[in-house]
Amino acid sequence: MSADSVTIGKVKKSVFQFSRLRREILQYKWIYLMLLLPLAFFVVFRYMPLYGIQLAFKDYKLAGIKASVWNNYEHFKYMFLEPGFLPAFRNTLIISFMRILIGFPFPIILALMINEVRMARLRRVFQTIYTFPHFLSWVLLAGIMLNLMGSTGMMRRIVGLFSPEMSDNWNFLYDGGTFRWLLVLSDMWKEAGWGTIIYLASIAGIDQALYESTEIDGANRLQKIWYITLPGIISMIAIQFVLRVGAIMEGGFDQVFNLYTPPVYAMGDIIDTYIYRLSFVRASGVNLGFPTAVGLFKNIINFILLIAANGVCRMLGQKTVL
Amino acid sequence: MFVGLKQRAGSGDAVRRRNKIKRFTASDAVLLFILAVFAILILYPFYNALLVSIVPNTVYLRNQSLMIIPPKISLDAYNFTFKSSLIWIGYRNSLLITVFGVIYNMLLTVLCAYPMTKSFPGRKFVRFFIVFTIYFSGGLIPYYLLIKDLHLMDSLAVMVLPTGLNIMFMLIICQYFQSLPSSLEESAKIDGAGDFTVLLRIILPLSLPLLATFTLYYAVDRWNEWYNAMLFVKTVEKWPLQNVLRTIINDIQFMATQNIPGQQRPDVQGDAIKMSSIIVSMVPMMCLYPFLQRYFLSGLTLGAVKE
Repeated sequence: MSADSVTIGKVKKSVFQFSRLRREILQYKWIYLMLLLPLAFFVVFRYMPLYGIQLAFKDYKLAGIKASVWNNYEHFKYMFLEPGFLPAFRNTLIISFMRILIGFPFPIILALMINEVRMARLRRVFQTIYTFPHFLSWVLLAGIMLNLMGSTGMMRRIVGLFSPEMSDNWNFLYDGGTFRWLLVLSDMWKEAGWGTIIYLASIAGIDQALYESTEIDGANRLQKIWYITLPGIISMIAIQFVLRVGAIMEGGFDQVFNLYTPPVYAMGDIIDTYIYRLSFVRASGVNLGFPTAVGLFKNIINFILLIAANGVCRMLGQKTVL
Repeated sequence: MFVGLKQRAGSGDAVRRRNKIKRFTASDAVLLFILAVFAILILYPFYNALLVSIVPNTVYLRNQSLMIIPPKISLDAYNFTFKSSLIWIGYRNSLLITVFGVIYNMLLTVLCAYPMTKSFPGRKFVRFFIVFTIYFSGGLIPYYLLIKDLHLMDSLAVMVLPTGLNIMFMLIICQYFQSLPSSLEESAKIDGAGDFTVLLRIILPLSLPLLATFTLYYAVDRWNEWYNAMLFVKTVEKWPLQNVLRTIINDIQFMATQNIPGQQRPDVQGDAIKMSSIIVSMVPMMCLYPFLQRYFLSGLTLGAVKE
């Protein structure tokens, strides 16, 4: 008797839970309907490509992904023998490290400087000018840069004023050594202003009373920056730094692709441009499985780095997206 | 100078601060000098491009574009650029993909952001499903084969459909929606409004400045589109402006042979044509940027400021 009632109670409870779930789903039916379109986008353009990853383990046949045959990790064995792969991998890391070492502190310094300008209107003017290149494409900016640094460009003339010898042997765009610097510096030129925005917002959030009290203690400008502004934005700097390190495998396809030429491939080729050329530029009949494998290799490292960066950010007390 | 002080005076003794006159010191001068130099470094390449595009061939060859003021002006390069149908094709296509792209992007973004503020069953999974795509993707070849299988090759749609929505933008908008007072929505619901009505009549009108900013960012992204076009669009008549520009920059002969049939290439040097094309394609941005700079400069800090 008592056992029966317990069973009935359980059944009743689960039926009740089920109906509650159904009621909730019905209650949110319009919400689900709204999500239909965005989710369809993610399924088609973000998840369906994942199906093609199997090509990394297959020999590609024109008949399609399914018709291609498994090849026992051949691509991964071949990867380290392919003459272009290791240089591209190394270049990606070197260029990323250069960008972090030189490019990362720059927007911070710039933000601190902009913040010290006393006239609000002038601050705005500087910010507006600095941020402008961010909104232009690398196609357009590369066009300007190539002209500026090319053999008929202004840079050659200016350098010629100081060292005619250098100007006579002008090879700036086609020299591997200078090319990496061109990448790093032109990226700083384009993105520094945009980078300051987040730091300036962070500086604006610092309690003004702190500045006033140090002023009474007789602190000068640099001391105020060092003891108040910098500590005030240090957590933002840390988070930005971690995120930047997490993106180390992204060498900046748009920029490199629009600026580089065959003579600088050895020093400037990054993984993404390497994959592109493997897939589309080499003679026809290239096995599309191999570039897929290289892409997968890159994406897995990227994935691990991003998860790690995310974890560190969370340890720093930042709410993260995942 | 007072403008600056007023804005900075925080919770403290504002009157005392305002009365205190800050002198323009040597450190101010150094600071402004450095900032001005950087501003010139940013602007000069654009000015140089303009100069190259407007000086005659002979002047350019003599000066190698080391000029402050152009000694002589010739609009031959612009004549040539405007006559080429290619630039106008690029403009038309870019305009098309920008208009349709922004509508599509904003539609998806809003339709994704608003539901994410609700605690419907399965919300956590949906969020994971979306955010996962930031962390992992198929790579170039799987993407290429997908587009091929979807028969999107060589169409204008290939420059719009795969762009979908920017997850960071969506999350910021979502955060903003959540910060709006829920009482408005509740009272509307009591009056019998459905989710769509609430979104259209209450949530969206309250978020206009934020939506304007992201509309602008999407517009910039679509206007700068070249990657999908390079991969998938082979027909010149379907190229967006950036790809036209890429071809002009990399291959000046292309322009001469493709576009003015039966006409000899005028005596304009290639660099002038390249730079005039660049200037022409920058015009929309140069017109919009100064007037909309408030929106351009809000950056991705919008969501954070609210907290």
